[in-house]
Amino acid sequence: MSATITPTPPDELVERADTGSEGEPRRRRGRGAGLHIGSHAFLGVLLVAFLAPVVWAVLSAFKPANDIIRSPLAFDVGAFTLDNYISMFEDVPIAHGFLNTGIVLVFKGAITLFFAPLAAYAFAKYSFPGKNLIFGTVLLTLMLPTIVLIIPLLLEMKTLGWVNTYQALILPGSVDAFAIFWMRQVIAAVPDELLDAARMDGCGEFGIFWRVIVPVIRPGLAGLAVLTIMNIYNDFVWPVVIASSERMATLQVVLSTLAQNITGNRIGADYATVTGELLAASSVALIPLLVLFIVLQRHFINGILAGSVKG
Amino acid sequence: MTALPATRSAVPAPRRRWGSTGIRRRLAPYVFVLPFVAVFLAFSVYPLIFTARLSFTNWRGTGAAEWVGWGNYTYLLTSPGFWQSLGNSAVLWLLIVPIQLAVGVVIAVLLNSAKLRMRGVYRVAFIVPFVTPLVAVAQIWVVLFDQKYGAVNAFLGLFGLPDIGWLTTSEWAKPTLALLFLWKTTGFIVIILLSGLQSIDGNLYEAAALDGASRTRQLWSITVPLLRRTILFAVVLQTLAVFQMFAEPFVVTQGGPYNSTTTAGYYLYNHITRADLGTGAANSFLLVILVMALSLLFVRLLRAKD
Repeated sequence: MSATITPTPPDELVERADTGSEGEPRRRRGRGAGLHIGSHAFLGVLLVAFLAPVVWAVLSAFKPANDIIRSPLAFDVGAFTLDNYISMFEDVPIAHGFLNTGIVLVFKGAITLFFAPLAAYAFAKYSFPGKNLIFGTVLLTLMLPTIVLIIPLLLEMKTLGWVNTYQALILPGSVDAFAIFWMRQVIAAVPDELLDAARMDGCGEFGIFWRVIVPVIRPGLAGLAVLTIMNIYNDFVWPVVIASSERMATLQVVLSTLAQNITGNRIGADYATVTGELLAASSVALIPLLVLFIVLQRHFINGILAGSVKG
Repeated sequence: MTALPATRSAVPAPRRRWGSTGIRRRLAPYVFVLPFVAVFLAFSVYPLIFTARLSFTNWRGTGAAEWVGWGNYTYLLTSPGFWQSLGNSAVLWLLIVPIQLAVGVVIAVLLNSAKLRMRGVYRVAFIVPFVTPLVAVAQIWVVLFDQKYGAVNAFLGLFGLPDIGWLTTSEWAKPTLALLFLWKTTGFIVIILLSGLQSIDGNLYEAAALDGASRTRQLWSITVPLLRRTILFAVVLQTLAVFQMFAEPFVVTQGGPYNSTTTAGYYLYNHITRADLGTGAANSFLLVILVMALSLLFVRLLRAKD
């Protein structure tokens, strides 16, 4: 089903959307006015619904813990406090979670962003025996749900002695089949004349990749980068299976242990305190990606759209 | 010769070492794909073959594996728990996909109109949930929908509505989970639909407007038919996602109350926690077959109408 849609036009989409709000002015105001009010009412209600949970959580995290559960809808800015954050950083190894996620992000991200386009370059611009077999297998695995691999991968990690190690978090899925599939499409669009010209100038095969392909496909790479960052940062199922020890837990794994606290597993912690810590921790986890998203909107949209073919 | 725009087969490498460049050029692609192939064989192909074998044994993670033939498969196909998990996923599908596509199409059409003000603001707001980490959001859900202390019941209370046990009663747990899923992924569906809308020729609408077709009429007669491929694509994606749903019930409900949110993906995980690896492997394959059959069905639907 990956072929049913070509995920390329979002550039245009972003462009038009950005200019559109001011660009095409108020013709036909009179006739469309009723519709506009209706549209804005509909979109406005949804906008509130889409933002409310996040805004509520971020604001509530500043309330005294008891107020969060006593009056969840009231916000008294004067009483705002950092207590929840302070006790959260004391009780929950969240800084360590950030550190682990950061380490995985750097290494896994670098591996994906270097080796996936490199392999995609070979698939797009060379013909070599075995190419179709390998690429066919790539396409096949694109259709498999990731959960299928969880059990055998876990056993494989046990055999290798990699349970609760960084390499177990980094290597599986690091050169992702989807990234190759996408980058192959992007690189195939680079004209062959460009490569041949470089060859005439005495450029080696890797030199062509590094000095010609990489600069040309930079927008595609940016999309891949944000999608990769988002996926690694948010990844939860594999880390919770393979890296559940306190030393190795990634940010998302640390967060998930808080929910278990709330159901009462942590002895001596009352509901209000845990709720306050939980909201503080969730806010802290939300913010890096949100900031990145707002700064790199267009690349995010490109990446998300291209990522949708993953299935 | 040097002046010719080179075609791929006749690349002159005038400066040096014909032989070695030729060999290098033939070897280069293998070197380039090697790191990928190594990772792929080790962490995708090998585990896959391993799962296939495992699904025919009763291995529990230690000791010797005993070959049980189709035993795991027949066990699952006759076990009420397995069918209940599929039923739960099917109900979630019904609660999610039709609503999401209907609302998604309306949002996308509105956002696509050049006359709408604040388009950028809306678009960003709708994608925010998709960018947030699921675990963080799922935790917020737990707090928001708490029966006694949650903001949702407090809000409904303002209108005199009674408290609802969103996460503690089996009739409300599924809708609450569906709401989380809808909230999290509708923006993503809107992006996909918007990209489909971009490819529709704007002249069609002008012609229709000249013929006096209303906006609603245009939506039904132009947009929806021309967007059909994109819509079905979105349906396939969301069907896969709903049937594999795992992290949401894992964090929010742990599959409860009374297994009412034990989705197909969560049921599979239950085998792992019980170290019943053979059954888990068989369950994965049944799920793959189901998911692929559903996708094929939707693709067929897509073709049939073309």
